[in-house]
Amino acid sequence: MNGLETTRISSRAILWVALVLLVVLYGFPFLYMLFTSFKTPLETIAVPPTVLPSTWTIENYASAIGRDGVVPSFINSVVTAVLSTAISLVLALPAAYAVTRYRTRYGRFFIVGALVMRMVPPIVIGVPMIGIFRSLGISDTSFALAIAHATISLPLSIWLMSSFFEAVPEELEEAAKIDGASRLGALWRVVLPVTAGGIAVTAIFAFLASWNEFLFALLLTATRSQTTPIVIANFQTQFGLDWGAMTALAVMYSVPVILLALVLQRHIVAGLTAGAVKG
Amino acid sequence: MRITDRRFAFFLMLPATAFLAVFVAWPLVQFVSDSFFDISKFAGGPRTFVGLANYVEAFTSGDFTNAAWRTVVYTIVVVFLEFVLGLTVALIFTALGNASRVFRTIFLYPLMIAPIVAGLLWRFLLIDNFGIVNQLLTEAHILREPGQIQWLSDPKIALFSVAIPDIWLTTSFISLVLFAGLQNIPGDVIEAARLDGASYPTILFRIIMPLLRPVIAVALILRGIDAARAFDVILIQTNGGPQQSTETMSLLVYRTLVRFGEPGLASAMGTVYLIAMLAVSVTAILLIWRPGNENTR
Amino acid sequence: MMLRAHPRKPRRALVTAGIFAVVSTIALSGCGAGGGAPAAGDDSITVLVEAGGHGELQPIADKFEEDTGTSVTFVELPYDGLFNRLNSEFSSGSLSFDVAALDSIWLPTFAEALTPLDDMFTDDVQSDLFPALVTEAQVDGSFVGMPAWTNSEILYYRTDLFEDPAQQSAFKSEYGYDLAPPTTWEQYSDVAAFFTQDTDGDGQIDTYGTDVKGAVETEWLATLSQTGEKDMVVGDDGSVSLGDADSLAALDFYTSLLPSAPSGAAQLDWAGSQNLFNQGQLAMMRFWAHAYKQIPADSAVAGNVGVTTMVGGPGGVAGVPGAWYLSVPAGTPKQDAALEFVQYAYDNNELSVDTDLGLASRISVLEKYQDQPGYENYGPLIDTLNSEATIPRPATPEWQEIVDSALVPMLQKAVVPGADNQQLLDDAKAQVESITD
Repeated sequence: MNGLETTRISSRAILWVALVLLVVLYGFPFLYMLFTSFKTPLETIAVPPTVLPSTWTIENYASAIGRDGVVPSFINSVVTAVLSTAISLVLALPAAYAVTRYRTRYGRFFIVGALVMRMVPPIVIGVPMIGIFRSLGISDTSFALAIAHATISLPLSIWLMSSFFEAVPEELEEAAKIDGASRLGALWRVVLPVTAGGIAVTAIFAFLASWNEFLFALLLTATRSQTTPIVIANFQTQFGLDWGAMTALAVMYSVPVILLALVLQRHIVAGLTAGAVKG
Repeated sequence: MRITDRRFAFFLMLPATAFLAVFVAWPLVQFVSDSFFDISKFAGGPRTFVGLANYVEAFTSGDFTNAAWRTVVYTIVVVFLEFVLGLTVALIFTALGNASRVFRTIFLYPLMIAPIVAGLLWRFLLIDNFGIVNQLLTEAHILREPGQIQWLSDPKIALFSVAIPDIWLTTSFISLVLFAGLQNIPGDVIEAARLDGASYPTILFRIIMPLLRPVIAVALILRGIDAARAFDVILIQTNGGPQQSTETMSLLVYRTLVRFGEPGLASAMGTVYLIAMLAVSVTAILLIWRPGNENTR
Repeated sequence: MMLRAHPRKPRRALVTAGIFAVVSTIALSGCGAGGGAPAAGDDSITVLVEAGGHGELQPIADKFEEDTGTSVTFVELPYDGLFNRLNSEFSSGSLSFDVAALDSIWLPTFAEALTPLDDMFTDDVQSDLFPALVTEAQVDGSFVGMPAWTNSEILYYRTDLFEDPAQQSAFKSEYGYDLAPPTTWEQYSDVAAFFTQDTDGDGQIDTYGTDVKGAVETEWLATLSQTGEKDMVVGDDGSVSLGDADSLAALDFYTSLLPSAPSGAAQLDWAGSQNLFNQGQLAMMRFWAHAYKQIPADSAVAGNVGVTTMVGGPGGVAGVPGAWYLSVPAGTPKQDAALEFVQYAYDNNELSVDTDLGLASRISVLEKYQDQPGYENYGPLIDTLNSEATIPRPATPEWQEIVDSALVPMLQKAVVPGADNQQLLDDAKAQVESITD
């Protein structure tokens, strides 16, 4: 560490207490959602409310999975996220490389443009997109939604990959070119493998951006390509909300990505660090 | 077949440029141009040019000015609290060093949660009658009775209540980013200050913050933009209510467009919203990056 | 510096190839993967519904498929989401459904895009439907929706409390008349005040006579009709009636019940109210007729619930008809199949009786079942709907906006202690006028 670490026992003890408290407070909401998903539907809305279920049951999970459209929506979420990540990477990698390696005026213009795109509120482009996809004949498909999601993740992907490319010494490509590789070849055969970790990070963030997205899914999907966040929000009827099934579905939707995060935490932190250092 | 480096770079950027042009710039242009028309809610219906009439209607409508104000308040509250909490947590992590690794990992999890899920979660926690938060606060004798604070149904505080999940989600992000930034601060500067007898607050404000400035700036600008655009979290918690007290610009544009079927008016509101966002963020970037470049070590 | 990439190249290439294979496979199936894509061709239709509607129409859809071979796919959306979806699909022109179940208040909004159903409304059909429904189904002289099921608020009360001799004698001695389910406003106030009690002696009120709903508007509209008001909010000539004597009387009575109701009225909606009653916290509840069947068997009040007609104000008994209509969008290519389904749904209306919502639209069906066990809510429903003061909501295309922007906010402010009801009504009037101009 760098001298900001305290070594006094009393200070450390206080800090530990604070930290544990913080983590408990932070973790409680999700834990409560978890507990609620195992309560009977009546107990989820009991007045006064309970924390732990008095009887543990999986009927919420059964009813959530059994509902029309839930399982297809999961498939749609996965397909859309994978497609959107692929699109984002395919577009971002060459663009970021060009911006970092060849500092052209167009490159600077492009980077500023991408940044500006990031500031656009999705609602502004969401509705016109409905018309565009309809004229392309891909309304209500996972492909269309993936494109929409890619517009969200592309600026970040470009930005992240730029910082990873910047960390690659130019000598690598020089050496490859001396060996006879073309510029493209150097990129493909030398630079990309070296930045594989960075690509993984970018892919993770692009995947998450799509997995958790709501507004575009709300506007652009109808019956065939609906993703799970929409289904979760749809658990409302004219007269109420099925909290049990809703929490069960929310848990099922969040747990995979949380586990993924734990497994890939090193990469995620690297991504955050890249974002921090780039500034 | 050797093209110049500049050409090569251009072709590399072409796919992304084309993509953004077709799927972002073009819808944007359509949206802005729609704002000058009065458009029927039914496809194929009449579309008449009305000039600036939609803008006049927007600016004179209480809904619009109120939503704008609420968006500003929401953004400031969210960014400020995120920053303060995030910095505190980052400092705690740093102070405890490597031993806090497990906790840092746990702190990652909110990043994975969809805003819609977070909003739902907190709505369930704060809801009247069967929300657990008020129940626990009452049992801890902080509240007299569970009905004392109506987080999401009291128009005076609802806007702050809906900010809670947003803050909860992004404090993780800020704390981890700031933690990473703190790692990069050279130890000798801190040591020197310590030897000079500087107290912790002094070190914090006079040394750490200026060094972290680029990192903080980037994080705050990004989160500020996201907070101003917040939609899912607010929608699922209160749908803009009660009495429209949580209707920010995103929700107003959505409601006018999709619920009340007034595309022209919604486009005018949205265009003003967009211009405001761009203006503010560009100003912020220019203010913080220009001088920031000189300060980066 | 040696190129480190070389030793890793074979593995890297494999991984890349693998990824691309997966992705391209997915991409090929990506268009329309997962979702319940309706089979192409004429032997299927898509029906857009809300959760309750799905249940109501499922038995009809099943039988329809048996009889005609046309399969029915339901797309279920929450109430608000359904309205938003209809709006965005009609405005973009790309329809994903062939039939939609619409709340009555939406018919005027979307009438322009719906196929007229005049042929279906023969004299026989019209005589088997409540007059209010026949009125609602017409927009600008043309029928645009066929009622699939109807609903109205009725009065729910706790039979265990009302038949308890101790409560009866206490009531009689305090108010001077026998305890019975109330039929007038005065009686309702009395009974509600009476049942707001501290039953466990801890100094805190724990049961209430009734509830006051500030987050939804229809109950107040029913109260308004009970004054005898003929122009519900907006009259046929477009004038706004809010602020008149009837509306003030209705709002005053509505908020006068606050002391007999649990706190949190401003945000109390249907779900909250139903929950309070089912958990045993209310002695009476005014609620939609379908809730009768939905009382959970393991709830505190199961077996102790009675139903009767809505309360009567100065103008008589009144409720707001809450019918849902099946409509066919003019833009769907499957017009014949869609219209066939709508007709079939009317003919087989009886099948909806044994569903989660358990309601029907035809008078003959309701009358047939009203004396059967489990359908005690039908009698009060019929009587309330047949009452003279019961009128439908106005056929204003901007009705949803009026509700969202003027009525509900007005109610939410009115249930705050110390509110000036007349002022709130006048403000709401101004707001409605600005929406309808």
